[in-house]
Amino acid sequence: MVEVVASAKARVLIVDDSSLVRLYYRSALEKAGFEVEQAINGIEAMERTLSQPFDLVIVDVNMPRMDGFTFVRALRRIATDVASLPALMISTEAEVQDVAAARAAGANFYLVKPVSEAELVRHVCVLTGAAS
Amino acid sequence: MPITPDDVQRFCEFLYRRTGMSFTQSKRYFIDHRIEDRIAATGSSSFQAYFSLLRADADHEIEHLINSFTVNETYFYREDHQLRCMTSSMLGAIAALKPPGGTIRIWSIPCSTGEEPYSIALWLMENWPEVDNYNVEILGSDIDTRALQAAAEGIYGDRALMRLSRDIVTRYFKPVANGNHQIDEGLRGSIEFTRVNLIDAQDMARYRDFDLIFCRNVLIYFDDASRRQAAENLYDCLRPGGYICLGHSESMSRISPLFSVCRFPDAIVYQRPEADHG
Repeated sequence: MVEVVASAKARVLIVDDSSLVRLYYRSALEKAGFEVEQAINGIEAMERTLSQPFDLVIVDVNMPRMDGFTFVRALRRIATDVASLPALMISTEAEVQDVAAARAAGANFYLVKPVSEAELVRHVCVLTGAAS
Repeated sequence: MPITPDDVQRFCEFLYRRTGMSFTQSKRYFIDHRIEDRIAATGSSSFQAYFSLLRADADHEIEHLINSFTVNETYFYREDHQLRCMTSSMLGAIAALKPPGGTIRIWSIPCSTGEEPYSIALWLMENWPEVDNYNVEILGSDIDTRALQAAAEGIYGDRALMRLSRDIVTRYFKPVANGNHQIDEGLRGSIEFTRVNLIDAQDMARYRDFDLIFCRNVLIYFDDASRRQAAENLYDCLRPGGYICLGHSESMSRISPLFSVCRFPDAIVYQRPEADHG
């Protein structure tokens, strides 16, 4: 299991429409010492990121109401520092054009599901600058 | 032949080692009764004969014994060989027919006070590397609304948690009053609980397209006609190719000819055939 010593707890927002997936990621990240908030789609994620500070947002692609691409594109257009919030996209879509679409939307990194606990924690550490 | 205090002590030590359940001589009356019931049920000629059978776990006797000790209470990770079968065999076959991100529907009926559907969710998160690759929906249903209320609250005593590792208890439960533990709020929110009568076809008609159904240790309480009705209802609730797990002492082959038997390494389960014949 990955052990993380974070000097100040990095705050991560998980955006996924599946409650079991949110719980699976949350549990892995909390165990590694991160503070976790959740949202069930892009609209809820937008409300959260505008009202609370985060160090990273983990976002699914296929979600009802507002999908992950739309959310990240909207996030990058915000006129404050929030626009530079690192975004890790995690999706079941594994095609080259999906990865390209994620980059074009403004995602910092793209992972294809399934993602193991260790893999998730490793990437979250890198993207938040936490020591692992 | 009467059961001696030495017998009881050996028995209690064995039970404790295998289950973590601890009984002292002060519970002698309760223990003697359970042992006598199991000696009779297994047709053993003496305590010694029964104890040998128990230690060899012949015919899943340990599980039978645990069930008799927990009476109507259930517990997390009960009959975990079926949970293992779910992640090592059944879900692979189910997922192979779906696109990534597709929905997999799992039903726990009857779900009693929630231990089974929560166990399914915990087991998936802990043991199925594909858990985030599909949209898993878990539904828990029971005829008893008090049980459903308790399931939604998700508060459990030590005995219900005895099979869970300390790590799982720490990660997914929080301590509440009276030494009990409440299951994680996110986990409670991820499972839907509904009231359903298994032998009511109309009631059951609201539930369709399940990939996997756990229906354990309830059919044994029905007479032949109700059992057959329940089996037919469950068949209709399954997607073609979907699986159903029964309790270890139950056999679908003796109830209904609709299902095919699947002998996986970890468990024997039943399947609604891919294509219906006739």
